[in-house]
Amino acid sequence: MKIAVMSCIHGNYEALDAVLLDIDQHSCEKIFCVGDLVGYGPHPNAVVAQIRALDIPTCVGCWDEDIVEGLNACDCSYPSLLAEKRGIQAHEWTNKEINPENREFLANLPHSFKEGNLAFVHGSPHSNHEYLLPQLDAFVALERVISTDADVLFCGHTHVPYARTLDAGQLQVRVGREEKIQEISFTSPLKRIVNVGSVGEPRHGRPNATYVIYDTDIQEVQLREVPYDYHKTCAAIIEKGLPAIFAWRLANGLEYAERADDPTHVCTR
Amino acid sequence: MNKWAILSGIEANLAAYEAVIADIKRQGNSVDALYILGDLLGPRPEAEKLVERVLNPRHGELEPLICKGWWEEQCLILHGLGPTGDAPELMAKYGGDTVQMLWECVSRKTVQWLRSLDFGFFELDCLLIHGSTVGVGEELTPETPPIQMLDRLSRMQANNLFCGRSGLTFQYHLQAGSITTALTTLDNQVPPQTVSVVPRQVIGVGNVGRTPGQATYTLYNPGTNQVEFKTVYYGNSKGFQSQRQITKSKSGV
Repeated sequence: MKIAVMSCIHGNYEALDAVLLDIDQHSCEKIFCVGDLVGYGPHPNAVVAQIRALDIPTCVGCWDEDIVEGLNACDCSYPSLLAEKRGIQAHEWTNKEINPENREFLANLPHSFKEGNLAFVHGSPHSNHEYLLPQLDAFVALERVISTDADVLFCGHTHVPYARTLDAGQLQVRVGREEKIQEISFTSPLKRIVNVGSVGEPRHGRPNATYVIYDTDIQEVQLREVPYDYHKTCAAIIEKGLPAIFAWRLANGLEYAERADDPTHVCTR
Repeated sequence: MNKWAILSGIEANLAAYEAVIADIKRQGNSVDALYILGDLLGPRPEAEKLVERVLNPRHGELEPLICKGWWEEQCLILHGLGPTGDAPELMAKYGGDTVQMLWECVSRKTVQWLRSLDFGFFELDCLLIHGSTVGVGEELTPETPPIQMLDRLSRMQANNLFCGRSGLTFQYHLQAGSITTALTTLDNQVPPQTVSVVPRQVIGVGNVGRTPGQATYTLYNPGTNQVEFKTVYYGNSKGFQSQRQITKSKSGV
């Protein structure tokens, strides 16, 4: 069975529409979403309405959480005061724009969910603010998958897709307690982390929307890149009064020039 | 290089603290640092006396380096200075009487001082904390799964992690390990690479004040990586200051 998994739509309806068409053309039987339906983009209500209409199983993203609970990320989430100012602007705009039904929908999204041996989460199983980057220590990455009790962990949050295998993990441990010494062996079969990228705010260097198709029968991951008319979204960002740099970023498929000092930092608030 | 004396969980037990300090004095000049890894306080009437004693070492005693523990965090929460608004964990674990006792036996001045305490210390390649790198409330024990233990060590890149939350004395050596990882991105495919584990260890340093009449603590020599667990018996029923060393081991890390 082929499934499609997407993330980080960020209020970009044009991109979502293009991705749904691409999913349709690849005969996927199920669609899953790992959050961040809103934030940055100009069409938060249209995006949430579409996800609701299609009844797509979705977990909550950090932007969705902030719309429900209020802005609660610590200041270390932003690489600069300027970035923080823009983030707050986008949050406040989205907070005003979102309608009560859609806010209620976001409020009821789970932190994570499972489907057979597949787990779905926005950031990491431990925090929606944690970035599971491709260069993360392999054992730490393995711990994240094992903590879900699944074989494949789908996540988003970084906006750059990748598929990582973690195979033949093994550890030898010696535990001494009082006079007793105990030897412990740990082994782990093949596990995977699949970061599904971003539909509506990609950062892989091109403006195309990204998502993932996973074939559960042959455990094959296909990273999909879908062109769409991003100019329409850029124009809407400007028209709605959102910070113009969001349009620039969308058109270039890039993060701001400024980056967080420690992208692995986990917000503790 | 001299040894470090590492204590945790005094829990406002002044007699237990005095017994351990006396035992450290008996080591002579071989101990040159004294760490208290949290839970200095506890819901006992002598909490203020203990703080006074710890912060004012007598002539010839070491000045302790103190970090925050679970009880200190509960105190801060009760005074509206913690990470959460109420203290559900404290209530669930110990009930309302303990909450009241903790509120009454710790002064506002002491609470202000608690705010200045660090989460832990990083010295050489050693991390010294109360709970784990996730938080003061997490217990690391001999039963903690290896992959979780490695994660907790990796979060702060420590080779030796000293902790006290469980109250147990133990040495948990991650001796060896490997994993093979491969990466596919939109533009690149990194072939499988095998990564090995650098040997590391977690040390449970024991608990000074929880068990009446019996305190445990740890001596560590950072030069030789030798860990020594000490048990000190105190009080009339046990024979004041009699002691027994229960484990002495040398780490290969």
